[in-house]
Formats: sequence, C-alpha cells, structure tokens
Amino acid sequence: MKAKHPALRAFLSDRRAVAAASFLCVEILLVLLIPLVLGQDPNLTDRAAGFWALPSPQHPLGTDDAGRDLLARLLAGGRVSLLIGFAAAALGTVLGVPLGLLAGYKGGKWEYWIMRACDTFQSFPSIILVLAMVSLLGPSVWNIILVIGGLGWASVARLVYSGTLSAQKAEYVEASRALGATDRDILFRTILPNVIAPVWAALPLKVVRAILSESSLSFLGVGLRTPQASWGNLTQSAMELVTLTTRPWAWIPPGLCIVATALALLLVGEGLRRALNPRSRTERALPFSSRGCKIKP
Amino acid sequence: MRKYTPARLAALALAAALMAVLFLSACGQQPQGETEPAGEKETPAVNVNYGISNPWDSLMPYYSVSGSNYSRIIYDKIYDRLAYVQADGTCLPRAAQSWESADDGYAILFHLDPKATFHDGTPVTAQHWADTITLVTNPACETLGRATFVGLAGTDETGAAVAGETLGVEAVDEATLKLTFTSPVLPEEFLVDKNRDIYVLPTHLLGDIPPEEMMTDDFWLSPVGSGPCKYVSEVSGSTLVLESNPDYQLGKPGFDTLTITVMDKSNLLTALIAGDLDYYAFGGSLSEENKPVAEQAGFQVLEGEVPNTFFELMINNETIASADLRHAIEKALDKELLCQQNSGTRGTTTSSSILPGTPYSSPETQGTYDPQGAKELLASAGYNGETYTLACTSQRANLAALVQQNLKDVGIQVEIETVDSATMFAGMYDGTYDLGLASHTPTTLPLWFTGERFAPDHNLFHVADLSHYTQLLSAIRSETQERARIDLVDEFEAYLNQEMPFVPLWFTHALHVQSNTVTGIDYPASACCNENVWQWEKKA
Repeated sequence: MKAKHPALRAFLSDRRAVAAASFLCVEILLVLLIPLVLGQDPNLTDRAAGFWALPSPQHPLGTDDAGRDLLARLLAGGRVSLLIGFAAAALGTVLGVPLGLLAGYKGGKWEYWIMRACDTFQSFPSIILVLAMVSLLGPSVWNIILVIGGLGWASVARLVYSGTLSAQKAEYVEASRALGATDRDILFRTILPNVIAPVWAALPLKVVRAILSESSLSFLGVGLRTPQASWGNLTQSAMELVTLTTRPWAWIPPGLCIVATALALLLVGEGLRRALNPRSRTERALPFSSRGCKIKP
Repeated sequence: MRKYTPARLAALALAAALMAVLFLSACGQQPQGETEPAGEKETPAVNVNYGISNPWDSLMPYYSVSGSNYSRIIYDKIYDRLAYVQADGTCLPRAAQSWESADDGYAILFHLDPKATFHDGTPVTAQHWADTITLVTNPACETLGRATFVGLAGTDETGAAVAGETLGVEAVDEATLKLTFTSPVLPEEFLVDKNRDIYVLPTHLLGDIPPEEMMTDDFWLSPVGSGPCKYVSEVSGSTLVLESNPDYQLGKPGFDTLTITVMDKSNLLTALIAGDLDYYAFGGSLSEENKPVAEQAGFQVLEGEVPNTFFELMINNETIASADLRHAIEKALDKELLCQQNSGTRGTTTSSSILPGTPYSSPETQGTYDPQGAKELLASAGYNGETYTLACTSQRANLAALVQQNLKDVGIQVEIETVDSATMFAGMYDGTYDLGLASHTPTTLPLWFTGERFAPDHNLFHVADLSHYTQLLSAIRSETQERARIDLVDEFEAYLNQEMPFVPLWFTHALHVQSNTVTGIDYPASACCNENVWQWEKKA
C-alpha cells in the first residue's frame, strides 16, 4: 500500500530515515513497557546484590554504587531523557512559531524586538544560560524542560521569520488578503502551512539538543534531583576512574543510548527535510539532480 | 589538458591552506621580552599543582562560614599557627618554638620564634598574637571563630570578652605569649584541640578597620599573613595562587608557587595520574576501590593508622524539633550499609563523635538499626509527613540516596539537594536545610566535635536551649582529673544520646596516594588540617 501524501511517500522511501524512526519508536516502547515487565524499582537498593554488583541474570547490567539495578535506571533514565527532549523541543516550537510569524508578518517594532531578543538568546552560550537558570529555578524534570524549551525558541522563531518574510509577498497571500481574510487567518491558515516544513525538519534536531543539554547538565551534577535517573547522570559514574576503567557496563549503555538516539533523531530530521522539500522529492524521483550530475544508485 | 576532479581540487585546496598557515606562522615576529641572551637563561618557576575537592569560603581565617577543613587547609598556608600537629597528636614547633604550663596549669606560656615575619617584612611579636585574640574576642567583631576562645579567662560561654574582666591573653615580652584560662589546661591538649583555629593576624595593618567591619573588609581579598606561603591571586571558589615565603622561619618551601585548584573529588586521582596535579588534599586521600588503580599507575599508597574522618548527619533541631523524631531518624539509618557504601571495609560505625580507642570512648553507646523502633517513635512524635531537605555534596549524592531510602522505609520523606560544602554549611547555619551529610577530621580529644557546635553564636544544629549543653561542656573543660572527666564526658554523651541533636555515623581510616613529584609530604598530618609545605620539595 502506498502513502497518498507525497511528503509521507518520500519519507517512507528514505530507508535510513524509516529505520531511524522505527528505532525511536521501539526505544520509546521499550523504556515505557520494559520497566513494567522487569518490576525493578530504579531507586531501590538491592542489599543482597550489594554495591557495584557485576552483571547477572538478576541484574543484567549490574548495580551501581548505591546497589540499584542499572538496567532499571537505564530505562527510567530513558523515559526522563526522552521526555525532556521531546517536551523541551515542543515548548521551544510552540513559543518560536508564533513569534517568528509575528516578526515576519507584522514587521516594524514587532520584528525589531522579537528578532533582537532572538539575537540576544542566540549570542549567549546556551549551556551557561541553562546552568544559570536551572540553578535559579532548582533541579527538577519540569524546570529543566521549561529552561531548555524556553531558551530554545529563538532558532525556531528565526526559521519561521525568514519563511514568513518571503511567503507574505507570495501571490497566494495577496489573494487571501484581497479576498478579505483577517491577519489571523492569513498568518495561521495561509502562511503557517507554507513555512512550517523547515520547522518539522528541525524539530528532531531540537530534541537531540535538548537531550544533550540535559545530559550535559546531569553529567555536571546540576541536572535532575537525586535519586532520579537520566542517561546523562548515569554516564556521570564514568567520572570515577575506577568505574571508567573497570566497569564499562555502568556507563557504556547510557552513553550508547544517548548517541544512538541522537543519531536516529538526526536521520529522521534529515529524512523529514528531504520529504518536506518538493525539490528534494523531485531530485529523488529523477535519475539526474537539478545540477545535472548523475545520481549514484 | 589534465582534468581535476572535485575531490582532487579539494585536496589541493587543503594542502595549499596548510602551506599558507605554515608560511604565515614562520613569518610571525617573536614576541618581545622573550629574547634570552645566551648564558642568561632564567630557571622556570617551580609550581606545585595542588587539588582540593571543595572551595574555601573566605580568606579571613576567623570568618569561615563552613568552619570546614577545606578552609582551614588554605589558612594553614597563608597564616601561621602556634604549632604543627601530627596525626598521632604530637605537637611540633611552628610559630611557637616551645610552650610550658604556668600558674598551676591555669596558663600556658608560648615562646615564639623570633625569626617569624609577616609577608610585608614586619616581625611577628607576641603583641600581634595578643592583639589578634583581643580582636576576635571583641563582641563588636562579627567573627565566626570566637568559640575557639571559650575557656580563656575573661570570656563568656561564646568566647566573647566580658566587659570589665581582664582577658586572659598577654604579651609577656616580644617573644612570649601568655594565655590564661578559667580552668587548668594542658598545653598539648590545648594545641591538639585549638591549634587549627588560631592564627596570627597582621594587626599592625588593621588599625584603621573598625572591629564590626573587620571580617568583611577588603583587606582579606588580598591578605597578608606570616605563613609559609604568600597570597598572589584568587579566582573565588576556583583557584588560589600562592608563592613560597622565602623568609618563613622553618625554611623556604621547596617550590616557587603553589596553585590550588578546586576540582571534583572524582577527578583528583585522575588528575594526579595524568600529571595535572602534584598532590591533592587531604593527604592524597583515596578510596579503597581506587587503591589498585593508583598502584597500577605507579603510585605508592600509604595506609593511615588512626581514623581520620568522622561522618555525621547534621540535623536542624528547629525544624525537626522533636527528640523522638530525631531518634527515629537515627534508628532508621542502616549505618553499616551507609558506611560500606562510602568507606568499604575501612569504616567503623559509631554513635558518638569521640574517637574510638581513646579513654573517653564508650563502646556500649553503639546504636542499632531499628526501622520498627523508628516507626514507633515517629508515631509518638506525631510526624505529619513533612518533607525534609537533605543537603550533601555531589560526590555523596548516592550516599544521600541511601539515607533517603532508609528514611523512606520508615515513612520519613526527604528531598536531596546537592550543593558544594560551603553552601551546605551556610544552608545549615541559616536554616535552609533540615539535614546535611558532612564529614570532619577527628582528634583524640573528647570535645573536638561537640565543643564548638553548641555555642550560641555558632549554633549549627539550631538547638533551642543550649544551657545544659554549655553547662556540661564547661564542666568537662574545667575538670582536670581524668576519671572525673571521663564520667562527665559519659554524662554529656548520654545527654547527646537523649537529645540526638545530630546523628554520628562512622569513622574511617584513610589511604594516602603519595606524590611522585613532591617529596617530604607528611600525608597523615593533613588530617589535622596542617601541611608541612616548608618541607616539601619539588624538582624543577
């Protein structure tokens, strides 16, 4: 069965993107469902197993320095990391899209203030800002989402702003205006559908950045509140030399999860970018690219 | 004509760019001032890289909010102390060449080293010591280090000078300092107990500063002391650069500069192995599981013979006001498990801050893990499910998680805040936190820990009524007969067990990883918050 929507059809024809999306779906299902099957509390010490127990059937990834099951913590950490990633990216998008639309469409003071705010937010090293804000608000999942998401609107706004600038001079917008459409209708019904494609494509990248930001925060010890697990704070154990050198099972799995998830999200983003770009779709359909070079199979 | 593929063109461009970089760098002018005439080569400065896992809180030695050893070990370098205390309690000369008892044991005479000078070249005299103690005991001075002088004649139970009474400090002559006490005191006991908190200040430079502003004056941003190292620069909470004092009376340290860097505890050993550090405080202490790692990396590991760390759970007695609730917390804690998590096999659980093996320790006061008893106590205390905040340093986050689990098992809700040591003590001091996990360096004296924690102006545990504590402490301090003193200490310990203002957890013995680049380090003595840097030698 073939997908009707050309963009979806193009996305499904990109094997790497589909494999990456499938991987993400499986990963999400695993972190949601396995803890129910496993029945291990990620925050509970197994006194019988002890501290830093080696991998065993009971604890497939062993236990940490507080005697907690590392597999349970890996899965619990995955839920937290993915939640932070997706929620922060969503928050950044929800804030950035209307601001970018307003700046591009209204111009004048709107454009000036919104775009200067964009410049300000983008000119600071984001990790420093995030560190400062988390220190102010306190470490919790929702505060981290709020901070990472809240500080991530600028890139989305800039993307939408540039799209809106070119779209508002297009004939279909002029036509809507001539037909008496309100600004709101023009913005959200006419312009938005035509400028949102790059945002969809950039969304996976934003998820990656949010996951990596949380991981960095947790690795630095200012992320989530103890004893909550995340992939970032699980890799923190590698800071201890003896763990780094003799207990690879403690830090390689969360590290791999971060890398694999980031890679999968990047591939999905690339797939979306191609699928949502009509030119790319045409290029894929033809044996020759628009530059006239022969495309290698 | 030869065809160039895009890949070949890119490679050629890259090669051209590299050539250009090399060419331009070769054309660069040699920076001025770096030209060295032949035969006049300067010897590079010998720097000792010193790591520490927590920052110090102020460079004013009588204004340490945390009162922590991280601050003391810094003051030890810049300021001079009366003696150098070794791990076994032996006291060696430092600012004082010798000491003796006087006035039937009510006074101690310190014979100061006449060679001692401040970093500005001014000789250190007994008057400087007397003026320092007079300043710190002045009630107008907002010091946090006054409790050190409790027991000195003419002071009250906080260590503040009492108006109309003669303060028990006197410069007998240029080089003789006399301290007079309200009760007989043995000089060695006094030094083991107080030496790490008594420093001489450059009072000749402080004349213009009113006592009430003394602690926070800008002078302490670039302090002058008379210790073995001079202040050079500081990045607050991060780096402190000191230089060796060539005029130090015990000898010039065998290095030019000492760079003290704060880094995460887990990175200290790695940095030592990588050569980024020459040594780290305290005494290169090492966990049991890291011992083979250090040995494999070519370092020798020295085993400490006396316990050098005491762990406690600090309790805010204002927010956790019920003694039953504090007892419930104590019974809920599986000290054996906590001790094993933190110290492996090198720890011994305790229910007292008194060092095991001393005449004052009582093995029968050992507490037991009793979750059921804790639940019963909670019920009788009327605990309403309030969530308490437990502060700890990031390296003890998982230990705190175990404490949290232990408390949760009996129904006490705890939220963990990971902060640095100075913030934790400041938070306990101002009442931000309800509980705190801390460690300290013990001495053989019975009041090494409790002696300074129940003073009205340093009431870290927020005890509502300190009167019985101060009464008992005063009685112990003034008792000279050992047997009677042991009885009083037992009485005090019984009272502590009844009130449970803090929970003693365990003692550990240290392992010291020895420096491969600096010789002469007395590793175990660092537990007494002093380091013999004047005997350190680093090869250029």
